[in-house]
Parts: sequence; C-alpha cells; structure tokens
Amino acid sequence: MKSFVLACVAAIVVAGIAGFALNSVQKPADQAYSTTGVRL
Amino acid sequence: MARLLAQARFVIGALALALILAIAAPAVAQQPTGVNPNAASVKEEQLLKGLKIISGRGTIPDTKSYNLEQPAGRDWRQFHNVTLRWTGAIAILGMLLLLVVFYLIRGQVKLESGFSGRRIVRFNAFERFIHWVTATCFIILAISGLNITFGRSLLLPLIGESAFAGWSQWAKYAHNYLSFPFTIGVVVIFLMWIAGNIPNRVDVEWLKRGGGIVGHDHPPAYRFNAGQKAIYWSQIIGGVAIAVTGYVLMFPFYLTDIAGMQTAQMVHAIVAVLFVALMLAHIYIGTIGMEGAFEAMGEGTVDVNWAKEHHSLWLEQEMARTGPNESQRQPMATPAE
Repeated sequence: MKSFVLACVAAIVVAGIAGFALNSVQKPADQAYSTTGVRL
Repeated sequence: MARLLAQARFVIGALALALILAIAAPAVAQQPTGVNPNAASVKEEQLLKGLKIISGRGTIPDTKSYNLEQPAGRDWRQFHNVTLRWTGAIAILGMLLLLVVFYLIRGQVKLESGFSGRRIVRFNAFERFIHWVTATCFIILAISGLNITFGRSLLLPLIGESAFAGWSQWAKYAHNYLSFPFTIGVVVIFLMWIAGNIPNRVDVEWLKRGGGIVGHDHPPAYRFNAGQKAIYWSQIIGGVAIAVTGYVLMFPFYLTDIAGMQTAQMVHAIVAVLFVALMLAHIYIGTIGMEGAFEAMGEGTVDVNWAKEHHSLWLEQEMARTGPNESQRQPMATPAE
C-alpha cells in the first residue's frame, strides 16, 4: 500500500514537471499559427 | 372498309408505341444516378487520386494552412470513425467476455496445498513502486485515451455537452502529462526485469502443460513464467510503440508531415486498444483469477506454498541463496489488498 501511494505521488509530481515543461516549450495556437496582425 | 382502316390504324399505332418504348427503355436506364460525368468532376477525381495534397497560397506563418485538401485524410477519417471503433470494441469487450466465461468455467486458480504461513519476498519496494507508477499511469492513460475514441458516442449522450467538454479537456491534459511517468516506468521495468524475462526451455514446457491455468497442473517456472514473459515483452514493445507515436502526436509536425501524423495516430490507437485488452487479462490473473497472486505486488511477499506451486524453480534458487530459514513465518496469510 505504501508503494502504491508513493507511486501515485511520484506520477503526479513527474506529470506536473512535464506539464510545466510542455507549456514552456509549446505556444498556444493563436500565437503559434498567426502573425501579430491577426486579431482573435 | 372504314372499319378495316380503323383496325389497321390501331395496329400501326400500337406497333409504333411499342417501338418508341423499346427505344426509350435503354435511355431511361442510362440516366445519371447523382454523378455528373462531365470533364470538371473527372478532373477533380483524378486530382484527388493523383495528388497527395492539393495546396494553394497563403500569407500566415503556418505554411501547412495552405493545404486545401489531403485526399488520404478520407482514409484516415474512415479508420478513426469506423475501423478503430470496431477494432477497439471487439478487442476490449471480447477480452472481457472471454475472462468472464473463463472465470465461470475455470473459477479462481486456488492454492491447492493451502497457505503455509511462511512467506518469501517476491518483489522489493522499488519494484513495486515502479510497477504501480506504470500501472496507475496506464489506467488513466487508457481511460482518457478511450474517451477520445468512444467518448463522443457513449459518454456525451449521458452527461451532456458541457460536462463532456470539461471532462475531455482534463482527460487530455492527464493523457499528455502522465505519458511521461508512464514512459519512465516502461524504461525502468525493461531494465529492471529483463534478466528474468529471457525465454528459455522451461517456458516451452510451461506452455505445453497449459501453465497451470488450464487444468490443475503446476509446471515449473523460474521467477517469471512464460505467460508473465509474454506480458512483459508485450508491455515493453507496446509501451515503446505507444510512447514514440504518442510523442509524435504531442509535438505535431516537428518530426513528420500530415501523412506521418495520421500513420502515428493509427499505430498509437491500434496498439493502445490491444494493450488495454491485454492488460485486462493481466489484471484478472493478478487479482481474482489466482489466489494469493495479488499479495506479490500488493505487499511484496507470497506464501511459500504459492511460490512452490507457481514458481518452483525460483523458490529453489531463493532457498539456495538465502537459506530455508530466511522466509518469514506469519500466523495467517494476509488477504489481498
């Protein structure tokens, strides 16, 4: 049970780090696929 | 005379009518049935068949937006909307049905010699930790992935558009982010258990004797039997295929074009539904399918009699390595968690 709880915590922590890294690497579509002249 | 002329006119008129109908019938049969076979449509069809992508011109930075039509996308849409749903439904529901039937016929694989009260370490804390990281991530990845394929058909009518949109958004976040600990888990499991999962002659004998699952035989096995090795290699090969194609999809157009993205999605989806079906069997045999099996991954130890029945060669190795008195004596076997 202890291993299971620790595994869940570790998965959430790694997923959180991955989410932070992904959000810093990838831009939202309105920024990635348009010029500054586009109004959304 | 006048009567004769009238009869002649009638006969000639009837013959003329019959002739007109006979000539007109093929013309009616050749009427178009919705397809206009003029030059324009023929050229469009040739274009769709001949070109991979029909492109125009644009001014925004994303040059992919200049593509007006990708005819191969129709095949992909057919796969995504029809083929994948049928494949997934047959694989997953088929496996569930198979397991239910198997359970009703065979029942739980009992520990025939009973619990001895002496226990032996089967998986240490680190092995269980990695197993559960991978397993919990897999379950959430499977549910959130199946939502992409079946959610719109099955869940949307039940919970409504607003709830489905919110759930799907968070499911997609979870799917993307939990793929990273899952991938780490697959890599560590590969390294951690590869030594015990190399196929050998004992596996052939184990398979010939039905592995103890079919019937009540107890063929010898080392730490991992042939069934567990099959699960291990399926998990490694399937996990790598799913991870690679998943990251191709997560970083669209970084590594490939639209055709590559569609291929990656098809491989990802097919491997995933087969993976889910396989893991259902793994979960079954590790929980209700076999008495005493869950304790191995639940608390890390198994009863010595369980080890003797299912992994006799491994027990001999462990006894030779640690000595017979190293196993823990417990008053009663603890139930599965």
